[in-house]
Amino acid sequence: MQVDVSAPFDTRVRQALGDEHLRVALDRATSRLSTRRAEAMAAIDGPQLRDDARAVRQEAIDRLPTLLEELEQNLTDNGCQVHWAQDAAEATRTVREIAERARVKRIVKSKSMVTEEIRLTASLERAGLTVTETDLGEYIIQLADEPPSHIIAPVIHKRVEDVSELFHNTFGTAPTLDPSDLCATARSQLRGRFLDADMGISGCNFAISETGTICLITNEGNGRMVSSLPRLYVVVLGIEKVVPTVEGAILLWQAAARNATGQNVSVYFSMNSGPRKKGHPDGPDEMHVVLLDNGRSRVLERGYGEALLCIRCGACLNACPVYRHIGGHAYGQTAYNGPIGAVITPLLADDASAAKELPFASSLCGACRDVCPVKINLPRLLLDLRRDMAESGHAPVTERAAMRSFARVMQSARARDRAVSAARWLTRMKLLPPIRTWMRSRVFPGFARERFRRLWSSRARRAGKSSDAS
Amino acid sequence: MPPEPRSRDVILQRLRRVTGAVRPQAPFLPRPVMRLAGESQSLAQQFGENLAAVNGGYELLDRRDAVTARVMQLVTQWNDETAERTVLSWSADELPVPGLSQTLERSGVTVCAPIDDHDGDIRARAARATVGLTGVDAAIATTGTVILASGPGKARVASLLPLRHIVLVPTSKIYPTVEAWVRERRAANSLRTLLSESKQVVFVTGPSKSADIELTLTLGVHGPRAVHALIFDDGSPR
Repeated sequence: MQVDVSAPFDTRVRQALGDEHLRVALDRATSRLSTRRAEAMAAIDGPQLRDDARAVRQEAIDRLPTLLEELEQNLTDNGCQVHWAQDAAEATRTVREIAERARVKRIVKSKSMVTEEIRLTASLERAGLTVTETDLGEYIIQLADEPPSHIIAPVIHKRVEDVSELFHNTFGTAPTLDPSDLCATARSQLRGRFLDADMGISGCNFAISETGTICLITNEGNGRMVSSLPRLYVVVLGIEKVVPTVEGAILLWQAAARNATGQNVSVYFSMNSGPRKKGHPDGPDEMHVVLLDNGRSRVLERGYGEALLCIRCGACLNACPVYRHIGGHAYGQTAYNGPIGAVITPLLADDASAAKELPFASSLCGACRDVCPVKINLPRLLLDLRRDMAESGHAPVTERAAMRSFARVMQSARARDRAVSAARWLTRMKLLPPIRTWMRSRVFPGFARERFRRLWSSRARRAGKSSDAS
Repeated sequence: MPPEPRSRDVILQRLRRVTGAVRPQAPFLPRPVMRLAGESQSLAQQFGENLAAVNGGYELLDRRDAVTARVMQLVTQWNDETAERTVLSWSADELPVPGLSQTLERSGVTVCAPIDDHDGDIRARAARATVGLTGVDAAIATTGTVILASGPGKARVASLLPLRHIVLVPTSKIYPTVEAWVRERRAANSLRTLLSESKQVVFVTGPSKSADIELTLTLGVHGPRAVHALIFDDGSPR
């Protein structure tokens, strides 16, 4: 059974838990990625890397407006055209207009979470443009017409059999269980797309303000292709991606690689600083950079700036017992899933009640905080979000009513005594609707056979007797 | 009616209200992540072994003279699948071995060093080449990384399109760590110029790879399937 990302939260979780293939695939992938990460961090001074990575990101967020102005200036000096967008609509319109002005028809894209966030591909396709995802995983899910399910491994939910069948149905290739064969098919299909494309689009891992440089991390090389082959190159990035120095970007590159896949470094780290100059044999003739807010300034205003430190390595997903069971699609129509997704999806949303279940989809075990390369205190942020939602009235009606009665009852010993007796009966009758709903996803500890207050008074009586005997 | 404020100003104003005034200070400088394994091995040896650890290949050649013959052998060996022997290359001036391009040409190999890749003919030829040939701007021992800056005579496609990439690494260009390379560039005041003049500086660490399908390693997804370093002593100290 496939997870329907537009279904209600409960349904999505039930679908995910009922999918045996998904459970196996998730378990395999997340444990391997977690192990590799742990080994890669143990091979160096891990705590030092985390301290330094945090410091680099913290400085960037503390000085965000200043660094953004510096970035804009240096990008412009490097020959880039800089655009600002307050929301998804403005960003997609900007990219569409760039494409229209240059009479672009074919676009190649490298993997980018921010373009998923603003649904850029769909918007460009509606305008009649051909958009091809070129990251192997993204290409597979584009063919399958599904959203990505992991920040760095978008087809974590698919087996090799599934991909083989998809390629067989799309290209008529022979069925195979060898990923290299599938990879070769994708290489030959996509090579032509790269060479024919008029425009390349990518996200950005880090934007170095001091030099006006857009950094891209890839292992496949598609990031290099989209930034080198087409006439036009467009970068879309969230405003939090800025980093003050080259040294900072190089540190974060290593932090990202170790924490995402357990590599020392990624295969490619491209640093792009503008369109080609006269006399350069290749590179784009035009380079555009779209700086996107889309809720990020609101995240800062609401006091959640820590969430903007994230470098999108996906380590928290692999560590999370909830993600490991339900996978990315159960988090709904969002580019970001797992613990960091549960924090930033509701924060980035315009509507305060959007994705309101996500901060509750966590056991607050803290595994995510322990692996985060920039030491984001994710459980703390999840709790803060729960509090915000309760205070702004987005908690379920029954839960609010229950909490109100709980407060009343706990203020009086008599009422508490009576309530406990009632609760003993009620928990036995699990069928009552509000309790049944609540208990569907929770294990309720049973009541002790004897009540504490009764136990206490009988002990006190016995103690009184024994002291008499002495 | 006053004109609608530009998005740029709206965003910056909102951010300014939250972040307030932050005292300007020297930017934070992170510490190096990796250290050299030991003194016993040369930088060249460590560079090669670390490249091999990420599925690359390497050979240590004792003389620059040995490079040309070895490149010739590799091109022949790797090109026997196709009739056309084309090498997509940096220009002769940018390769660290003088006369290499000319020798290849004389031996019947077509050396394509793009002047302008947006010219359709060049691009078609470039796309057919099965071997790429470049030098390096620097190489990093701890990670097996080569640093390639693009620019006149230094086509990006040479290290990107062909299935195999031969990279010529003079020992004088090998640095112990990536941080050491940046530090030297920073001290020489050439870091910013390198980035803004080259337009693309890329760190390449081994062949292109993916683990997207069931986390199974596959090589040569978009970039080269083989990255083969010919390391030679060029006698000049760094």
